[in-house]
Amino acid sequence: MNAYGLLWGLLLALLSTAAQAQNDTPPQSGIWIPNPGADLWKAVRQRGQPEPSTTQVQGLDSNQLINVAGEKFRDWRRERFIRYAAYLLAGVPVVILIFHLLHGAMKLEPSGRKLLRFDLYDRVAHWLLATVFLFLAFTGLLMLFGRFVIVPWLGLDAFSPIASASKEGHNLFGPLFLVALLWVFLRFVARNLPAWRDVVWLLKGGGVLGGEHPSAGFFNGGEKLWFWSLAVFGLLLSLSGLLLDFPSYAPSRELLVLALVVHGAAAVILVAFSFGHIYMGTAGVEGTLEGMRDGTVDANWARQHHDQWYDEMVREGRLEALPEAQENRVDETGTGQLGEGRT
Amino acid sequence: MTLAELVDGPLWTVALSVFVAGVAWRLLVLIGTGWKRDLSHPRSGSLGGAIRGVVGRFLPRQGMAGRLRLHLVAGYLFHLGLFALLFFAAPHVDFYRDRLFGFGWTPLPHWAFVLAAEAAFLGLMLLWLNRVLNPVTRLISESGDHAASVLTFLVMLTGCLALARSHETLRLLHFFVVELFMIYFPFSRLMHSFSFLLSRAAQGAHYGRRGVRV
Repeated sequence: MNAYGLLWGLLLALLSTAAQAQNDTPPQSGIWIPNPGADLWKAVRQRGQPEPSTTQVQGLDSNQLINVAGEKFRDWRRERFIRYAAYLLAGVPVVILIFHLLHGAMKLEPSGRKLLRFDLYDRVAHWLLATVFLFLAFTGLLMLFGRFVIVPWLGLDAFSPIASASKEGHNLFGPLFLVALLWVFLRFVARNLPAWRDVVWLLKGGGVLGGEHPSAGFFNGGEKLWFWSLAVFGLLLSLSGLLLDFPSYAPSRELLVLALVVHGAAAVILVAFSFGHIYMGTAGVEGTLEGMRDGTVDANWARQHHDQWYDEMVREGRLEALPEAQENRVDETGTGQLGEGRT
Repeated sequence: MTLAELVDGPLWTVALSVFVAGVAWRLLVLIGTGWKRDLSHPRSGSLGGAIRGVVGRFLPRQGMAGRLRLHLVAGYLFHLGLFALLFFAAPHVDFYRDRLFGFGWTPLPHWAFVLAAEAAFLGLMLLWLNRVLNPVTRLISESGDHAASVLTFLVMLTGCLALARSHETLRLLHFFVVELFMIYFPFSRLMHSFSFLLSRAAQGAHYGRRGVRV
């Protein structure tokens, strides 16, 4: 090949490359030469009329090379869902803090008399659910926000094992949440059936609006709202989680995407709600934690927050001043317990 | 020497040595202690009593089953689950073959492994919650009981977190906690894994000789 031939060859190659580079934008004038690869990639992405593909690989959507809907979902998850979840999960503690600064804790004047409120099985079921829930919330939030919180802080190399560990732990503890949830539901549902007084309680904001403490039975309106939220969102969380744990059993990819949305939304709602539950059970209302730790509550606590239940206990003669000796015995052991079976 | 080399090398040797020597020493002391010679006329055989003692205690006494329901269910869930994980989880079988015995055996399929892990975690959490929430068990529990529970939980948890077998850091973390567990084992309540047989047999033999049926 002489020098002229070489120059012509180079020129043709340059023109060809330039034409390919311009394929994404329609030509302004002249003859438009379509990219021969465009049809191929259009078919791969299955734009327009999806053409059925075949493969020997067995699995969900294994005959689909690029999932466009998946990309859209991923963008939505990163740009919308995670942002609003962060607003909610950061906002709720701020609201609780402001509430606490304005109202302070509800004080308790101990009466020295106790009422058995939760038996051993109630407490074990509650704390089992709480433990599993906190573990799942921690690992779940690590996976949800890790890319934005841990990676800039520790880097990708450090986040990689954290994410892997979180995923494995989350997947393994997930089914335990369902077991604990069902146990808690069965033990507490009879005491959480809705009543008109619960609506009144909620309308009065549990006494925050109007000043007067509204009447309540064994559980008040707020506690029942938490219970039914836990039941409904917890069930959604568990079922969607099981589907995500065993994706090969899902009938379609759309259902898996829906499961991801439901799982994330239900989890964020429950975690936000749990902040309020934890606050009310610890710093918000004095004497509440004791009920779930030792099983007993002070009589004044019961009269103040659950007056109808208190009256019922008094009518049934279950409220008695502890004999001094027994009080001392309880104090010595540190159990604060009258003994099991006094229901 | 890097931390990984330390955990995989000398620390493992130390942990294994302490575990084997410690357990052997504790058992020898228990056996060597013996008991006071019983001069009474034997009413029945000691051997039968010992066997009855070992086997019979796997179920609670009549009348106690209701009160011990949580303990019983959680205890079996935990111990059977842990046994299955310890000896039949695929990573453990690989470890026994490559690092300890030179041979392996058929591991559990993945679904059975998951089931065993769920049972073990559920059982251990229930047992520990019962320990701290039941006023009686809380009263008789000591720091050693809680330490054994927490350490066992950490061993299981780190193992579960390393399940993907994709990160050396997670494997080393699990291995390190296992080594701490092995070093702590002979000097703690965890020794009941071995000593329960001796204590049940000794008490059963004593009762058997005296013709007591429990």
